Amino acid sequence: MSHQIIQDRREFLKASIMAFGGAIMLPSCLRNYTPFLFFTADEALLLTAICEQIIPADENGPGATQAGVIYYIDKQLYEVFTWEQDKYRLGLTAINESSLELFSANFDMLPTDKQLLFLKKMEGNELPDSYWKDNSASGFFRTIIQHTMQGFYGPPRHGGNKNYISYKMINLDYPYVVGRNLYE
Amino acid sequence: MKRSRIIAIIFIIAFVGFFGSYSAWNAAQPEHTCASCHEINPSFHSWQTSAHREIKCVECHGTALSNGLHSLQEKGNMVLMHFTGDKHSADIRMSEEQILAIMDACIRCHQTEYSQWASGGHSTTYGRIFLDESHNQMEQPYWDCLRCHGMFYDGTIYDLVEPVSTSGPWKLKDDQMAQRPVIPCMTCHQIHTENDPYGQFAQRLDHDHAEPVVFDTRFPAVALYLRSDKQFLRADFLPGVDFFHNGQKINVSDDPLQRLCIQCHAPNFRREAGSEDNRTPYGVHEGLSCMSCHNAHSGNARNSCVNCHPATSNCGLDITTMNTTFFNPQSEHNIHFVSCDDCH
Repeated sequence: MSHQIIQDRREFLKASIMAFGGAIMLPSCLRNYTPFLFFTADEALLLTAICEQIIPADENGPGATQAGVIYYIDKQLYEVFTWEQDKYRLGLTAINESSLELFSANFDMLPTDKQLLFLKKMEGNELPDSYWKDNSASGFFRTIIQHTMQGFYGPPRHGGNKNYISYKMINLDYPYVVGRNLYE
Repeated sequence: MKRSRIIAIIFIIAFVGFFGSYSAWNAAQPEHTCASCHEINPSFHSWQTSAHREIKCVECHGTALSNGLHSLQEKGNMVLMHFTGDKHSADIRMSEEQILAIMDACIRCHQTEYSQWASGGHSTTYGRIFLDESHNQMEQPYWDCLRCHGMFYDGTIYDLVEPVSTSGPWKLKDDQMAQRPVIPCMTCHQIHTENDPYGQFAQRLDHDHAEPVVFDTRFPAVALYLRSDKQFLRADFLPGVDFFHNGQKINVSDDPLQRLCIQCHAPNFRREAGSEDNRTPYGVHEGLSCMSCHNAHSGNARNSCVNCHPATSNCGLDITTMNTTFFNPQSEHNIHFVSCDDCH
């Protein structure tokens, strides 16, 4: 009986210490986890849709989404291309605002043909000027194309080209299978 | 209140606070702890979809106090790097020592696979590979040795052996390396990788499923560690290779595991089957995968004949006693390349 009480007291102490420590850690629990370093979840969804329009999955192979291009752009904006951060933040907001005005829906909610039409307008600088005062629509479009290509075709160590998926698509013999050629 | 009593109370609160938060940290979900640091984010993200997602980070990676001062220093350095490190090198990579420590965690659950690995050639060590005096005189040690023998080695060949020449015999600069395995589990296994075993199982139980179910037949955890990129590449994404024998292209198995094997059991630049360390079969066994006969971990092929024979035997003979290297390692008929006209 006394042993039981001692055990309960020990359990109580342990639980109390854990609870106290848990309370100290509480702020980290209140933070929402996101797999992205720079983008919000909504921004990532929007940019993923744009990238998939630039390199769509088709009979030739996977698209930008499958290659994880969004992770490349996110990582590079956070670690390297820090001077492009404002461009993306303002540009993505402008894209959604333009899309709402033209098609009454966010870009990522549009059907594919309308997404394509929107991006053609963006490339031609034909989007409503009121949303593109701080950013050139065609300039931002070119930046996204450039980064999408880098994320799709570049080495996976930079965050994109997941599983070397584009190398496989273009039949790149990588890693190159070669022996020691010791006995030649 | 006496000053000493106040100090004692502060000490107790600090003690309880530290160990309380330490215990709570280790017990909490990783998204609120380890993944708080952006360096851990990719690993956490891939762990979430892996077969090991029910196993907490600390069970394999240990806690700050699980290995005494050593782990305290290790984790402390990680925290220090988080606050002082260069963002341009935010990718964390485990050292060879850490890889081997993780391997101990693998063994705790995968004991059968470990014992098979330990009994086979892939458990070879730096000592056995680099201190073979006859081999030392045949080949100059160079960076590419580490592609297959020491994928996780932290330095270069110049840090590992001396002299870097064929004048030999080579000597390991650090004697303690001699017993260290050169091909640990993580050479062929990616621990954090997509896997959905429960999903597949649930689909099998769904008898009302109207559409035909296509099961994922790949081995999700099998991937090659590319030392040059410090990245894993899933075996089913490895390139298929055309092989030749006497100038003729031969049939090669499309098994992803075979593609993994030939990365190190590679042929010469002409891609001739059977050249150098390659054993891609031709002859009667043409088209078979390495895995058709060899155990994945031990490499043992002793009881593999019954997988096909005598059902596919045309001779009516006991093929295990025929004059091949399976029966007698000294035989001139290599089991990988034996053909009908060797006997007939």
